[in-house]
Amino acid sequence: MNSLYVEGDSFLHRLPPGLKLLLLLAVSLALFLTRSPLFLGGAAAAGVLLYASLGIGWRQSWIRLRPILLTIAIVALATLLLESVEDGMVALLRLTTLMLVAAAVTATTPVGAFIDAVTRAALPLEKLGLVRASDIGLAVGLVIRFVPEVISRYQALRTAHQARGLKVRPTTMIVPLIIQTLKSADEIAAAIDARGIRGQKRQRKS
Amino acid sequence: MSTRDLVLAALFAAIIVALGLLPPIMLGFIPVPITAQSMGVMLAGVILGARRGTVAVLLVLLLAAIGLPVLSGGRGGLAVFAAPTTGYLIGWVFAAFVTGALAERLVRPAQGALAQSLGFFAAAVAGGVVVLYAFGITYLAVVTGIDFGKAFLGSMAFIPGDLIKAAVAALAARAVMAGYPLLPARA
Repeated sequence: MNSLYVEGDSFLHRLPPGLKLLLLLAVSLALFLTRSPLFLGGAAAAGVLLYASLGIGWRQSWIRLRPILLTIAIVALATLLLESVEDGMVALLRLTTLMLVAAAVTATTPVGAFIDAVTRAALPLEKLGLVRASDIGLAVGLVIRFVPEVISRYQALRTAHQARGLKVRPTTMIVPLIIQTLKSADEIAAAIDARGIRGQKRQRKS
Repeated sequence: MSTRDLVLAALFAAIIVALGLLPPIMLGFIPVPITAQSMGVMLAGVILGARRGTVAVLLVLLLAAIGLPVLSGGRGGLAVFAAPTTGYLIGWVFAAFVTGALAERLVRPAQGALAQSLGFFAAAVAGGVVVLYAFGITYLAVVTGIDFGKAFLGSMAFIPGDLIKAAVAALAARAVMAGYPLLPARA
């Protein structure tokens, strides 16, 4: 699975991820607190400049942003027809700006830096006993590791269906896929505990 | 959370991601191709229960947020949380929780197959349709300024497909319960 991070040395690349996330939050709040077309238009132009400064290239940018742009365009058009031209423009500018800034943060922050930022943000929650901060990185790693595994199981099941002349139906594929995948949980959990990855000193709850 | 619960949630998150990578499935009797990913959210609730199911969905959203293209159609990154349909993604978390909480209370191992399937279907519809659309429609109406009633009517087009997904999820949950029960039972 390739991440959406793009190598580079722009200003945004050098900012710490936690700060970038706070800035993104501030931008989204500012965008939703105003309806001024002048402010929203300026913000959208700034968003385009910010995204263009990353040097991703038009083609690649289009591929990345197309699905979300399409949804925004459809909804903005619906707003324009159902409510008013002004409402449609406000929705279009707000959402497009937010999308550009968010995509810029994603393109300039490697996955590892994000996980570090999330782990640090979860430390106060750990003090409350809600979550173990180090579990977040472990779980993310497990998911990334097992997606290809699940896909190869799916392909094996499809081949097995075809070899028996059965139609590939969701109802007959999903059940064996889920049971096969979840059955490996015990072995993986045992392997994690045997290596002491989650720490041995603290008492495990239930 | 025990290591086993953590691993189960992570494995299920991997299943949800994989469901989004698969080509859309044609169900035969309706002409619209359906993506299996939103069914994964219902499945997480009915198979793993409220707590682990919610963690599985949170993991998928976290992976998307940190820049991995894990959502259907290869979408990912923080930009997916800036779309008009973001309410549905937020709703996923609550959908999995409500589906799981209801499934834990409605379905017993001692029940017959039909009662179990109906219990799972009710849980999947309540969480994966009612709760999910409540979040999705409210967010859409707030962000775009579309009148709530119009947003509600516009979203109705997707309900039949989601009811079919709930039915498939219910049947699958019944079969998984018979083959490899994981759902914690509640009085």
